[in-house]
Amino acid sequence: MRVLIQLRPSPDVVAAVADPSVPSSASDVADDLPGIVIDHSYAPVAVPQPMPAVPGGDPLSLNQPLIFSMAPQDASVVVRGEIADDELTSRITLLPATRRDVVAVYADPAIETTLTCAGDPPVGDWHDVERLLCLPDLAAEGLDGSGVPLAVVDTGINAAYVSAARGREVTVDHERSWNPKSVSGTPGDFAVDHGSMCAFDALIAAPKASLVDVPVLLSRRQGGSTLDGLLSDAISAYAHLREVLDAQPAESRALVVTNSWGSFSPRWDFPPGHPGNYSDNPAHPFNLIVGSLAEAGADILFAAGNCGTQCRDSRCAYPDRPIVGANSHPRALSIGGIDTGGTRVGYSSQGPGRLAARKPDLCAYTHFTGSRALGDTEPDSGTSAACPVAAGLVAAVRTRWPSSTLSPAQLRTLLRRTADDRSAVGYDHDYGYGVVDAAGVIAALRRRAAKAA
Amino acid sequence: MAEVLITVRLPAPATLESAMRHLDLAEDEVDTAYGLVPVDPRRNLYVLRVTESAGRRVGDTGAGPRGGDRPRAEGGPYSDPPIEPYGPPR
Repeated sequence: MRVLIQLRPSPDVVAAVADPSVPSSASDVADDLPGIVIDHSYAPVAVPQPMPAVPGGDPLSLNQPLIFSMAPQDASVVVRGEIADDELTSRITLLPATRRDVVAVYADPAIETTLTCAGDPPVGDWHDVERLLCLPDLAAEGLDGSGVPLAVVDTGINAAYVSAARGREVTVDHERSWNPKSVSGTPGDFAVDHGSMCAFDALIAAPKASLVDVPVLLSRRQGGSTLDGLLSDAISAYAHLREVLDAQPAESRALVVTNSWGSFSPRWDFPPGHPGNYSDNPAHPFNLIVGSLAEAGADILFAAGNCGTQCRDSRCAYPDRPIVGANSHPRALSIGGIDTGGTRVGYSSQGPGRLAARKPDLCAYTHFTGSRALGDTEPDSGTSAACPVAAGLVAAVRTRWPSSTLSPAQLRTLLRRTADDRSAVGYDHDYGYGVVDAAGVIAALRRRAAKAA
Repeated sequence: MAEVLITVRLPAPATLESAMRHLDLAEDEVDTAYGLVPVDPRRNLYVLRVTESAGRRVGDTGAGPRGGDRPRAEGGPYSDPPIEPYGPPR
């Protein structure tokens, strides 16, 4: 988290900072503040001391006539820095105790007003995403998803639509696809909707992957809306995917599972702390089966959700920490969203997650003109689009790197390590470890291959 | 929360009928269409969907009476919340 640190150095330093004719830098004022990475590009700023205008006034009240003193013995200095998100509380508590010149530490929130939100027009198109994911370089490495099963757990895929939108044939693996018992229909032949958008976006980086259609969100429940299911349906789907994985030869095993869905509200859940709870409980059967499938060799990705503080989805009902349940699973990748300009979209959920604190893991591209599955002028949006975009990159990697040579855990680490970090201190709760970086992934795989040779 | 999930550990090959016998569950207490779903084959762990009252009775965290030889589930009752697509944002 970016912070402002208010210090009270010696009066001569304050005088120098306050004097515009004297160049001063952050290191003149604040060096070696433990746990804080000082931003040396930010020149220190002198801040006046508010004082009562009337003798005898309350020295602590701002609700009275005030004068502002820039006298060196009164004024203070502000510098900018960054504290790791998971050390924030302890650092802020300890800092004034260990450094007597530190007056206070304040948040330095982003004041940009241009974050992409729901209803905003698309930012770029899917060819921009191809470019950002270095598609020609992936193709040159033979990483195009050929033969890799890519399960889209969603509302079903319309393959004819996705083919037409992409301008090339797509492959649906009918044998490995699966319907909940309450859903009839043929794999690849469902109505054009959210699932077709996800399939389209997954194929951007892995155009030759084999889509496994798993329309869990079409399952009906009494009183439910037209596009939702129950978590129990997802458990059944994952049990099927386990069979798909186990049926593959161990030496070439690969299965990528993209999940652009989740639970918006605690209303239907037991409260956190209850042993039957889902949102915070690694022992819930769905969280168990996610861990079990990942251990068996599957790469599982979940959308982080659209409950970002800047423009959260109106359905978000968790009062805080909206990345819940399997969307924050330690053995899955939780994917936030950025636009093709490289800026986090305002609705992308921020961490910490509930099962694992360091969520989201990564960000990928969203809010671009892509499938048009949700309407002619509608962008492929939400972390719903970001998740399959990242899943496509994972499927591309799996073309030549099955789980026997690069385990899901190793691949998660590789993606985090090569991500384009957006902070000065590594992990942060907005971007996670950073933005997926296909060029970095390719370079890391080359190094790995050279080492193995 | 009309129906809940419970887990049960049974030797393979397990069936819904064997799970119901093991937990002393009646047919109208179980979502038979959902069936018995394997969660972790290595641990012989399965899940089934039951009414809330049955979940409370046989779940290991339930409020049902505890007796020495009363059949118990491995875990539960667990919630079965609705899930929705994360997009487009509204």
